Amino acid sequence: MSIGGYTGKILRVNLSQDTVRVDKIPQDWIRQFIGGDGFAARILYEEVPSGTNPLSPANKLIFATGPITGTLWPMSGRSVFVAKGAQTGIWAESHVGGFIGPELKYAGYDLLVVEGRSERPVYILVEDDYVELVDASKLWGLSTSEATVKIQEQQRDPDVQVAAVGPAGERLVKFASLIVNHARAAGRTGMGAILGSKNVKAIAIRGHGGVRVANHEEFVALAKRAQERVRVNPQAKEMGQWGTWILTAVKQEIGELPTYNHRTGVFPGWEQLSGDYIRPRYTISDRACFGCSLACKKVNYIPDGPFAGTLEEGPEYEGLMAFGSTLGIADYPTTLRANQICNKYGMDVISAGTTIGFAIEAFEQGIITEADTGGLKLQWNDSALVIQLLEMIGKREGFGDLLAEGSREAARRIGKGAEKYAMHVKGLEISGQDGRTHRSIGLSHATGARGADHLRSLVTVDQLGYEEVAAKRWGRDKLPEIINPYTEKYKATAVVETENTYCIRDTLIVCWYSVSWPPIFWMDDFAEMLPLATGIAEFGSTERLTEIAERQVTLKRLFNAREGITRKDDQLPERFLKDPMPEGPGKGQVVHLDPMLDDYYRLRGWDLETGLPTDDTIRRLSLQWAT
Amino acid sequence: MVTLQKQLSVDYTKCTGCRLCELACSAKHEGVFQPSLARLRIVKYDDLGLDVPNVCGPCEEAPCVEVCPVYAMRRDPVTKMVYIDHDKCILCKSCIGVCVHGVIRLDTVAMRIIKCDHCGGDPECVKICPTGAITYGTPAQTAVVERHGKLKAYVAEIKRTAKAK
Ligand code: SF4
Ligand code: SF4
Ligand code: SF4
Repeated sequence: MSIGGYTGKILRVNLSQDTVRVDKIPQDWIRQFIGGDGFAARILYEEVPSGTNPLSPANKLIFATGPITGTLWPMSGRSVFVAKGAQTGIWAESHVGGFIGPELKYAGYDLLVVEGRSERPVYILVEDDYVELVDASKLWGLSTSEATVKIQEQQRDPDVQVAAVGPAGERLVKFASLIVNHARAAGRTGMGAILGSKNVKAIAIRGHGGVRVANHEEFVALAKRAQERVRVNPQAKEMGQWGTWILTAVKQEIGELPTYNHRTGVFPGWEQLSGDYIRPRYTISDRACFGCSLACKKVNYIPDGPFAGTLEEGPEYEGLMAFGSTLGIADYPTTLRANQICNKYGMDVISAGTTIGFAIEAFEQGIITEADTGGLKLQWNDSALVIQLLEMIGKREGFGDLLAEGSREAARRIGKGAEKYAMHVKGLEISGQDGRTHRSIGLSHATGARGADHLRSLVTVDQLGYEEVAAKRWGRDKLPEIINPYTEKYKATAVVETENTYCIRDTLIVCWYSVSWPPIFWMDDFAEMLPLATGIAEFGSTERLTEIAERQVTLKRLFNAREGITRKDDQLPERFLKDPMPEGPGKGQVVHLDPMLDDYYRLRGWDLETGLPTDDTIRRLSLQWAT
Repeated sequence: MVTLQKQLSVDYTKCTGCRLCELACSAKHEGVFQPSLARLRIVKYDDLGLDVPNVCGPCEEAPCVEVCPVYAMRRDPVTKMVYIDHDKCILCKSCIGVCVHGVIRLDTVAMRIIKCDHCGGDPECVKICPTGAITYGTPAQTAVVERHGKLKAYVAEIKRTAKAK
């Protein structure tokens, strides 16, 4: 292929038929979707019909990279898994760092599509042109970490990159994750359950080739300058030192640190979950994903106490929230151990912690009792209980079997009004933000294609009060409302523009932290770089990139619409709409979702009543084939 | 007069395993982003949280020079850099096996031996490394810089720990 960056090939592995096929990527896909999320959306829409049972052989797992994956561009080592969601039954995607995305490119493919179901446990081995389904019966039951090591040993190559399912994925825990490089998680939406349902323990990739861009000299020069920008950015430096833990203090300060199952936003024990506290006591090394100058990953070791000897990378802020403040636990070692269990079993940290939080609150309210839990007394601030419950979920043992379904389904089975305490949107548990104190995230959570999502359109500019950035992006006339976290006004404008940029980020694919926290790069930076990488001049226009982003957001919406998603599903849990924030700086705040939804649909060109893309919009974005 | 040759030195405690050095190296020498053709290698121990950069030299007795049966691998008498004379190389690949750091590679497409040449005195890996895990200088220089850096980090750590308590 003459276009730079891409390998131009899709590797398809059909497990049912035991066949392998290599397809070419049509050139018009590139111009319409760029890569990553976009290609995956195109394939999923066309090949997985509505009504498909996510855990049936008809679902497909798509592993995608972008045109600059594996190059010198900052933080370009990320990749995405896409499928119809195990837990939600709608569009599902999960991005992951580490090193496996570049390895797929070096092996010669832009995408890997896993189809069908294997009769026996296997792992998929891809080494350049060589593809094999290797017997994995001896690996079944192993932790993600053990499986990774075993595969590298079997292949006699420590550089084989592995995405593995743990015992949770094998047992179809609905929020099972895929783990690469021992601790980096494609965490959300249950990709582990999808691979587990296909009888696949792991995807193992080794590539010896390279990635060629269109204009090598200029691309390298620009990429080096971009790396330098990451290095000198003050917030990036902080992130490099403290990782995402830096957010604990920020969230506490603005009263948005989810505590007691999102009941409140301030947590008295926050200090013990903050970077200042953790780093000097527990951190032993800083690590990075492929091609990243920032290095937000921290390896930690617990020297004493009940969890002495725990050595693990993480947790991120979301883990501190999910196993700390959300459960009322002011103890870092507990969060590290809980995070480790999630990594080894292969489970999503946010969903696991939030589902446990739901159970504790339901217990507190008397909706479930010891008769339901098998004698367990559920209560806040109980480290031992959390560890025990996590193991039970991973093994689907006793009460853990119910929680393994996620909070929405668990609440449905419990009944008796339990749904009120299940903090989810469209089945996906809410991440560590709160729409009451940060209105734009309320809209993001409600409209996210994969459910309550903080990664596709989270605006940080309003939350952190970056006035100048806001003026530049959205016009001075929208100040101060647009950066006032407590008004609904203009929030849809900020969310839509941010979602569009993140959408391009996810087609490239680069790390969240390069565009948001801190915001180092934005749409115009991608527009400067993409023509050098691909040789396609039209990618140099931000209008064109915006149109591509709109196409993708709308295509994901169409995928969900086929599954019956409409405006009525773009909701938030009652708590965010009706229970005013009880304390802290945002005391008294609730989310008024409807005005923001109206604005959002209007800007997206979706129907106000139904929330579905209008015919005009579908035509404008050349998506007629998808109706 | 004795001139100390400049060398690549590594401090694995600083390395984050980002592999930017491998990328920059292959980009410079091969015009492509291809870590398998990089002249250095990051060995990763993900389960321990360790990353160890492997670079060429300094080798007092360079085994690659010793083992080469046709004297294709030689040492520059001034810079002391080991280099390969491709005209003489018979591709026996002995040097690959014997290299103490595992950094001599075989390009299996072009069928040639590839080896670090310190980029002629201005190594790319050093310039791109965001953490200073790879440095370039005479062994004496690097030692001083390293010790100085360690001490500063150590003092900062003491201060921060004291503050946190
Ligand atoms: S910022 Fe963190 S998550 Fe992003 S690429 Fe770098 S190390 Fe990975
Ligand atoms: S190639 Fe290997 S053996 Fe030869 S000088 Fe370099 S490190 Fe030493
Ligand atoms: S560039 Fe530096 S920090 Fe990154 S892998 Fe190489 S030696 Fe380590």
